[in-house]
Amino acid sequence: MSDPVIIEINNLTKTFKNAPEPAVNGISFSIKRNEIFGLLGPNGAGKTTTISILCGLFPPSSGTILIDGKNINTELASIKSIVGVVPQDIALYPTLTARENLAFYGSMYGLHGKDLKDKIEVWLQKLGLTDAAKRKVSTYSGGMKRRVNLIAGVLHSPKILFLDEPTVGVDVQSRNVIIEYLKEVNAAGTTIIYTSHHMEEAENFCTRVSIIDHGKILTEGTPSELISRNAGSTNLENVFLNLTNRKLRD
Amino acid sequence: MLNKLLATVKKEILLLLRDKVGLSVLFLMPVALILVMTLIQDSAFKSINEKGIPVIFVNNDRDSLGNAIEQGLRNNELCYVSDSIDGKPATSEMAMKAVSEGKFLLGIVIPKGATAAIRKNVSVLVNETLNGADTTHRRQDSVEISILVDPVAKKSFLSTVTSNLREFISEVKTKIMFETFSEQIAEVIPDKNNAPKNSFQKSQIIYYTEVYASTATDKIVPNAVQHNVPAWTIFAMFFIAIPLSGSILKEKTEGSVFRLHTMPTPFLLLVNGKIIVYVMVCLIQFLLMLAVGKFLLPQMGLPALVLGNSIMGIFILTLATAFAATGFGVAVGTLAATEHQAAIMGSLSILLLSALGGIWVPSYVMPEVMRNISAWSPLNWSLEGFYKLFLRGGQVTDILPESFKLILFFLATMAISYMYNLKKRTV
Repeated sequence: MSDPVIIEINNLTKTFKNAPEPAVNGISFSIKRNEIFGLLGPNGAGKTTTISILCGLFPPSSGTILIDGKNINTELASIKSIVGVVPQDIALYPTLTARENLAFYGSMYGLHGKDLKDKIEVWLQKLGLTDAAKRKVSTYSGGMKRRVNLIAGVLHSPKILFLDEPTVGVDVQSRNVIIEYLKEVNAAGTTIIYTSHHMEEAENFCTRVSIIDHGKILTEGTPSELISRNAGSTNLENVFLNLTNRKLRD
Repeated sequence: MLNKLLATVKKEILLLLRDKVGLSVLFLMPVALILVMTLIQDSAFKSINEKGIPVIFVNNDRDSLGNAIEQGLRNNELCYVSDSIDGKPATSEMAMKAVSEGKFLLGIVIPKGATAAIRKNVSVLVNETLNGADTTHRRQDSVEISILVDPVAKKSFLSTVTSNLREFISEVKTKIMFETFSEQIAEVIPDKNNAPKNSFQKSQIIYYTEVYASTATDKIVPNAVQHNVPAWTIFAMFFIAIPLSGSILKEKTEGSVFRLHTMPTPFLLLVNGKIIVYVMVCLIQFLLMLAVGKFLLPQMGLPALVLGNSIMGIFILTLATAFAATGFGVAVGTLAATEHQAAIMGSLSILLLSALGGIWVPSYVMPEVMRNISAWSPLNWSLEGFYKLFLRGGQVTDILPESFKLILFFLATMAISYMYNLKKRTV
């Protein structure tokens, strides 16, 4: 039987050169298989740094990270093949069509031939992009770009999916489609790690949430646990504001 | 891994094909450069050759010397000779004014009595030789021919022309002296049949012939085409640094690099995809430029490009140049922070390297310090290699040192890019 924990982080610290204090300061938490884990925090809290380290973009200053039982410092290459990333910025080639973008990114995950083509068509259809698939991405609306951005991260059916604000700047219709299909991806066995400033969305979407600020974990639990633990709070947004205070961060 | 590399190559080709401005920079710009530069350089010489250097000739002598020089100049294709200004016979003063105003590039003034002075001097010399008369202290008549030059004309060009002119005038003068000498001798010897005939022609025992020291089996004549086609092709090949660095920076700013770094694909493989495509672009550029030199330029009245003896040598050197140019583009794209910065950094550095490399001005006319610096420009290595192939009739072995240096340059730029990337990612 496989380990119920898919990501285990112990005492993770990241200090950037010339920075006055660590971006991430000795955090520890674990994520179970098949969870939808929300990493929430205000701007500059350390959530993007944490996700970036977990994706292998840069190494931690100290601490240990095990992903699917593999150490990120020594087995990064094999970890990358089981991970999918949907960055906050649209990471697509604007002069290529959706199909061409997905064919390229799918190939980079080792997919090719009929398997790749079939997966692209299935996902384009699921997210309502088949008719527009021949058009250059630069001609797409914001919502359409977000959906292609999402497909590029899930095409290879990763075990773990990192989503950095996947619904930012899209209309309600597109957001609903994205969330629905992310739930479908999760139901198929993918663990999701998600960041967002959209508390209502996080409350409904995540099975467990961790609130981070100043590089430290402030609290952790299911959305309902966090709400009940914080007296007077009726939703996740109240909990968030109580813990991180209402002062502007930028 | 091969599938990933092919996918990267396909993506790069698609991106390139959809960038119309980039494509025109890559292919039309070098064609335009070769056409314009070759036509300008060729026509500069041609206009002089076809119409001739404008020369105002003032013949105050009206005798053998003046007439022979005038006749010689009129028969010379290099000169277009006039003896009048605004319909009036030219005088020394008028000639000086006209040349100073740039109406003529050169003026030649033969003084009055020049022929008579030469004849007189020869007579004195003959008399002295035959009669033993001592004329050491006697003042000889001198002949002063003035060559007027336009102050705007380039010194190097004028030195060549005036040196030829002096040589020609000296020859005419010597001929007259020989003829006078023969006439004088004929007068004093009893049997006139024994008098020297055609003495000047007989004295001409040294002739000059210019042969280009090339080992090529084809007859390679150095001309604007042989110099400009390789020079501007190399320049254009290095200019791919701009679209290539732009493509690298676009991936950074559009976020693709972020995603690519999270994928199970070595970053070097992604860079290799770019290198393969841009090396192919360089090779196509080169073929296009050769076609321009071989087929298009002759249609415009210019000589056709002669490729020399070694097609394999051309291929090796072109490939090495393509790698050097691509490596340079990758380095610019890696070191620059924005597309704007890359465009400025790329274009200025290529202009500088090409100027140092002898693309604009041949390195052999540079001062020694600049020549030493020039020897460090990859464009100079490539140009020297192509001159060996296109002008000296060199073989593969002759261009191996240049090719080796270009490949080393490529490896150095790749190492710099790799280390810089590594440093950036270990923040």
